[in-house]
Amino acid sequence: MARYTTEWLKQLLSFAWDGLAGQRGRSALTVLGMAIGTASVVVVVSIGLVGRDYVVSLIEGVGSNLVFAYGTGDGINPEELDFADVDVLRNEVPGISGIAPVLDESVTISVRGQPRPLTVLGTTPSYADVRNMLVEWGRFHTEREDANGEKVVLLSKELADKLYGGAPPAGETLRLFDLRFQIIGVFREGVESAAAVNRSEVSGLTVIVPFETLRNVSPVRDIDVVYMQAVSPSAVPAVVQRVRDIIASRHRNIENFKVESLEQYLVLAEKVSSALTAVLIAIAAVSLLVGGIGIMNIMLVTVSERTRDIGIRLALGARRRDILIQFLMEAGILSVLGGTLGILLGAGGPLWAGAAYDMPVPISLLSVIVALAVALFVGLFFGIVPARRASDMNVVDALAYE
Amino acid sequence: MAARDARSWAVRLRDVHRVYSRSGAPVPALRGIDVDVAEGEFTAIMGPSGSGKSTLLHILGLVDTDYEGSYEFCGRRVSGFSSDELAPVRNREIGFVFQAFHLLPQLSILDNAALPALYARDRTREDCFDTARARLEEMGLGDRLEHKPTELSIGQRQRAAIARSLVNRPRVLLADEPTGALDSKTAQEIMDILGELHLRGSTLILITHDREVAESAERVIHVRDGQIHDGVA
Repeated sequence: MARYTTEWLKQLLSFAWDGLAGQRGRSALTVLGMAIGTASVVVVVSIGLVGRDYVVSLIEGVGSNLVFAYGTGDGINPEELDFADVDVLRNEVPGISGIAPVLDESVTISVRGQPRPLTVLGTTPSYADVRNMLVEWGRFHTEREDANGEKVVLLSKELADKLYGGAPPAGETLRLFDLRFQIIGVFREGVESAAAVNRSEVSGLTVIVPFETLRNVSPVRDIDVVYMQAVSPSAVPAVVQRVRDIIASRHRNIENFKVESLEQYLVLAEKVSSALTAVLIAIAAVSLLVGGIGIMNIMLVTVSERTRDIGIRLALGARRRDILIQFLMEAGILSVLGGTLGILLGAGGPLWAGAAYDMPVPISLLSVIVALAVALFVGLFFGIVPARRASDMNVVDALAYE
Repeated sequence: MAARDARSWAVRLRDVHRVYSRSGAPVPALRGIDVDVAEGEFTAIMGPSGSGKSTLLHILGLVDTDYEGSYEFCGRRVSGFSSDELAPVRNREIGFVFQAFHLLPQLSILDNAALPALYARDRTREDCFDTARARLEEMGLGDRLEHKPTELSIGQRQRAAIARSLVNRPRVLLADEPTGALDSKTAQEIMDILGELHLRGSTLILITHDREVAESAERVIHVRDGQIHDGVA
């Protein structure tokens, strides 16, 4: 019994190629079916991953390692943080790289002759970092300006647009509390996500002035919120605990205050993301099933034709193994072509779109592997099983197969 | 009969039964057939349609193995051979010309004719194609080598099928109505080719409805209702 020499395998490969070339339409459709099946899985999983990453980035974008403390204003006997609290927190909490207390005052200004409510925030220069503010034009105020209580102001993007129609308000001033404030900058939030986690006091018509300045010109004495930035994510729990202890020691009831980090939101994000992942897996499974059935249909369509082909080859002296290897090769060529094309489409498309929109697109290696494996399995299975059945048939039955 | 015992037998069937199952009901096609054909003999099988003669030829050609009884092919008992044991016998020792030709439609007739040689796996690829080309040229198809079967006339397909069956120089050539679909001129050409093969020593068994063809055979086997009526004209 002759062994399977390279020469003979090459001959069988040539038979396989004849078989594929003899049915270009079927071959192309099978490759297309596999490509679509594989690509859809990879794309669907990528879309899901993009969504998940987006949710996580929204939360992290509010400010990394952020810890914030505020009086709830609820309860029978509400309390708020005061200036002394800020000094103690500033000096006695280890592991923070910045602290930004926020005073909040509401005033009315005239915008194009209309009275409009304006939020005036008084805070320290650390605010820009801690709360992830972007200065679109100009600069944030300095420690020195804060310490001296200078009359400088930053406008929110929205306000600047309303007042100056998008032009940089260079050299302009704004009248607040009957005083003339020099406009030094325009800011916006680093991500538009703070509102999503209820941490945005800077949306809408808002201005930022130095903390000490607002303290001097306004009667407001309650600190709206104190932001602190922990030096690292792992330092966050210790900072939260320390802040809580300090506030508890200085006030009647710690229940009147909240000390929070974004950890709870990240935990929520993880939950959302696992739910999303489960949904994705279900969708991917459906697209794999649909892709698989598509491949199966195309391969089954020509079973009768291929069965006669096999009958002829057996009648001419092919052995069962010769037939099986030839069909394995045919199915393998189609599956590899289809799978590769699918991955190129499924990974290339999102990567291209990501590059075009300057957005990182994660491609799940697992989804690529699973999609390819299923396409290969379905392709090989429905290529081999009919061939196997045909090669087991009585030759005349295979020849007469309808 | 005594004279034949000295000769070696190409095929010997003993008490062969073949039952088809049509929609669950058993339909007997061959009912206890004995056939002896000596090597080098030219035998014609005749009989009305549905008599079982094609079934008999398929069993002789080892393409129908669902029968009961004993079959000795060139001295070997092949009834009960596995599919892979039958493959080399079909490949090297039997040439089968099917009534429907059974040429692979996607291949040229040269590729078709080379298949038995390639499956024999004892020659180089070039040798296989040289042999196939030579057989096709002998059949007058030298200028049609690259044509697909569908691009040829029925007579040309018949000749291509014969060329393919002869590529491995089989000991026994089986043909199912090789002249059935042909005009009388082409039929005569085919018969001349087969006659020449017989003269060169091939064992020839063919099914025919044509009395003229049967008369050129040394012996006629009549099949009726799945049984042999030997020697009855």
